[in-house]
Amino acid sequence: MPDEKLIEAVSHANDDIVFDLVEGKLESDEDPMLVLDDLTEGMKLLGKRFASGEAYIPEVVYGAETFSKAIDMLRPKLGDLVDKRDKKEKVLMATVRGDVHDIGKGLVATFLDLAGYEVIDLGHDIPNEQIFEAIERENPDVVGLSALMTTTMLQQREFINDLNLKGMRDLVKVIVGGAPITQGWADQIGADAFGADALDGRRKIDLLLGY
Amino acid sequence: MNSKERIFSVLEHRSADRIACFCANSTATYEQMDKAEAFWPEGHEKGETMARLALAAHSVIGFDAVRVPFCQTFEAVALGCKYKLGRGIEGMEGIPGIEEPPPYDIEDTPNFPDDFLARGLIPELLKAVRILKKEVGDKVAIVAGIIGPLTITGALVGMVPMLKATFKRPEKLRPFLEVAEQAGTTLANALIDEGADIIVCEDMNASPDVIAPHTYKDIELAYQKRQFAAIQVPKILHICGNVDLIVEWMGLTGADILSVDPKLNTRLAREKCGQNIILMGGVDTAKTLFMENPETVRQHCEAAVADGIQILAPGCTIPPETPTENLLAMIDAAKVHS
Repeated sequence: MPDEKLIEAVSHANDDIVFDLVEGKLESDEDPMLVLDDLTEGMKLLGKRFASGEAYIPEVVYGAETFSKAIDMLRPKLGDLVDKRDKKEKVLMATVRGDVHDIGKGLVATFLDLAGYEVIDLGHDIPNEQIFEAIERENPDVVGLSALMTTTMLQQREFINDLNLKGMRDLVKVIVGGAPITQGWADQIGADAFGADALDGRRKIDLLLGY
Repeated sequence: MNSKERIFSVLEHRSADRIACFCANSTATYEQMDKAEAFWPEGHEKGETMARLALAAHSVIGFDAVRVPFCQTFEAVALGCKYKLGRGIEGMEGIPGIEEPPPYDIEDTPNFPDDFLARGLIPELLKAVRILKKEVGDKVAIVAGIIGPLTITGALVGMVPMLKATFKRPEKLRPFLEVAEQAGTTLANALIDEGADIIVCEDMNASPDVIAPHTYKDIELAYQKRQFAAIQVPKILHICGNVDLIVEWMGLTGADILSVDPKLNTRLAREKCGQNIILMGGVDTAKTLFMENPETVRQHCEAAVADGIQILAPGCTIPPETPTENLLAMIDAAKVHS
């Protein structure tokens, strides 16, 4: 039976209530997978509140951190179950070289993880060479590139050009996002998709992969 | 009527010979750098080069104002942040930023240094304004930029702690907002002493794309009001993104001009802010100025003027790769409206 109080607390980033409830469930030896399901449902609801304009970035960031800390509380009981859940395709994420903006990309990664994707987040200020090394190592299905400035968005174009030059274009789908990024830019540089925000990024990746 | 007279006619709600056109944000492009022989990173760090590059906005493009600086690091670095050189595509310098980690934890109490104006690259910025005053003096308006309190605060404590504090513990931000406001105001008045005619405050973190609208009203607005009351020349307030949800409060800051992204509903802004506030903007930078052609730029300018924009301007920082012909198209559009 879902715990509506826990779901509601996560969906409103109410960390005190979330941690109290999870602590209580750990003490009473409730099934940690069911608790994880409630936490996940709460985050999805928070995502919907963001999409509808009811919640803003700070609440989503706070909620994502609360969600992550709550999972850490469950980890001793979950063991590696949470990491070994059946994963869908692999998505490699990075904020491009010269750009330190991380928050939007981090939220995309959270929503992708919730949707069951395996996410490798390389971080920010990542040169294209490093992304290529990661592609060879991790074999992702999708590469997501974030750029928040008009100077750094050019790295997205360079990356796709390099993918073509290396004969690797068919190996990965490329999605681009960030404040100055538009569908027009994505089309111009030959990206496969454009994510307007964190939830749209996840939706577009679903579409790219046929979900 | 010269460029400066044109801008001040608008500010004073008098008729001008034609619609004014300039940029409230960074104007520098690689093509202007070639023409002015003033390149980054020196254009960010040396007053003479910064001034030479800024002058190109008038001499090459025809903007009615020249504008410095070209990045948003001056106050933050002077308050303890670490300067990070911009990195663009190979061979091209980018816009500097702030290196991690931030100098403060959210639990700290920040310090405003007694020698603030001597720190970092502020002396070079002041030198640039001094040179611009000498070079263009009474003919072209000199616009100098400061950064808004919440944006500086984000640099001081880090974006995630700042965002989280706006949601749960806004009282933790106040010591930082105090110091940040003092930094921007102190810099603004020093820039005015050197010859700046207009101060623009860029406050990206105040956007509804970053914080909740009520956070702007409940927290940032008071600091912006205080700051603008302490600045005795015309002020421009620039907040990125769609500011429909906060434009009413932006109108209460004391700003003379709101520099807005084309995403803004101009008619809503006029309804919420009244007749006295001047609206500046009209042309999207990333999509239109950077990627489109002169004819499309002109069409967007026409639409903006029809919508109530009173000063034609790029909606934000001009991307450095923007072709000169697209910027010239803005001037062409302005000249049609006399």
